[in-house]
Amino acid sequence: MNKTINQKAWYFVIPVFVLVAFNAAIPLMTVVNYSFQETFGNNVFAWEGTRWFKQILLSERFHAALGRQIAFTFIILLIQIPLGIAIALTMPKKGLGVPVCLILMSMPLLIPWNVVGAMWNIFALPDIGFLGHTLNSMGFDYNFTQQPGDAWFTTILMDVWHWTSLVVLLSYAGLNSIQPAYYQAAEIDGASRWATFRYIELPKMKKVLTLAILLRFMDSFMIYTEPFVLTGGGPGNTTAFLSIDLVKMALGQFDLGPAAAMSLIYFFIVLLVCWVFYNLMMKNEAKS
Amino acid sequence: MMFTKLYAATWGDVGKAKEKGFFDFDLFSWMAWTWQTATFFIFIALCITVMLIWEKKDPGGSPRKGILGLDTTRGDRLFISLLGSAFIHLAWLGLVGSVLWIASIICVAYFIVVFKYV
Repeated sequence: MNKTINQKAWYFVIPVFVLVAFNAAIPLMTVVNYSFQETFGNNVFAWEGTRWFKQILLSERFHAALGRQIAFTFIILLIQIPLGIAIALTMPKKGLGVPVCLILMSMPLLIPWNVVGAMWNIFALPDIGFLGHTLNSMGFDYNFTQQPGDAWFTTILMDVWHWTSLVVLLSYAGLNSIQPAYYQAAEIDGASRWATFRYIELPKMKKVLTLAILLRFMDSFMIYTEPFVLTGGGPGNTTAFLSIDLVKMALGQFDLGPAAAMSLIYFFIVLLVCWVFYNLMMKNEAKS
Repeated sequence: MMFTKLYAATWGDVGKAKEKGFFDFDLFSWMAWTWQTATFFIFIALCITVMLIWEKKDPGGSPRKGILGLDTTRGDRLFISLLGSAFIHLAWLGLVGSVLWIASIICVAYFIVVFKYV
């Protein structure tokens, strides 16, 4: 078969190229330039070499923020993935229940992020919020604006409420794509419910679950808006995750150099994890 | 007019306003370029150009399964090399702190290993 060779079509790519240059490449280059210099504004810069990178890598503040970030991401993955699968397994497969469940599940995903933060802030207020007031009247000493443990509990609860649906919807799609023949075969073999899940459903969901874990990892690793509105990184610095700490450094303290260095280190970590996940997904793809 | 008062980009000229019109907008002082960072980006651009020429001469990207058990092409290997180099430099800065060019030499070795075996 002779394919028509028409390289002129490549010119259609130019607008995208320009767009990507202006919204990704040029800002990234500027961040690299900032990360090696000191500035007090007015477009005046002085060369500092690798000082900011060294400072960030050795700073306890960065280690603490990274530690909090990893802990947060790990905890929400540990809760959301199993919970999402469990909910997807109990959702109806046909009838009126399907659209009802799907709509209920997608509701939290449609709410703007800072609205989620504001909602949970009001919901959890210890004196007038429904959650806060109920917990306090039950005898728990709950105050998310003053106690670090409570702040973490509320942030994690909020994230679980906001994002578990995504895992549910993906798992549900994965479950629905399994052919009935597999279930019939399992029934003939007398497989238990657990065995059906372990050897049929889980392997068949592997692809969507990798995707779900990747999406949830990325979103939670870069989380900013919701904890910013809910706790503002407080009490103290206890819920200041990487993005919140970064913004404090860049805009609060106007330390553009160290903030640029920190964002590059942050970017490299994200890039590395994405690459690992991408390869895992490609491996799954190749196997199936 | 926008951007009429820009400031020169050296310490000696701090605070001395220069009259500039809209079309005099200086991309390079705005992006705070230095020759060091410019060299870095020219290096990246060169890498991509070399990859393009290599691909023209030997199309297909020479896919293979390397020692990591990954299916990689030339582009993947470049990506692994560059990202790895970033981490090698960061690790060197964090653990050793000075004489950064030794890390750069390690990176060259790392590049060669990745392009040969990964």
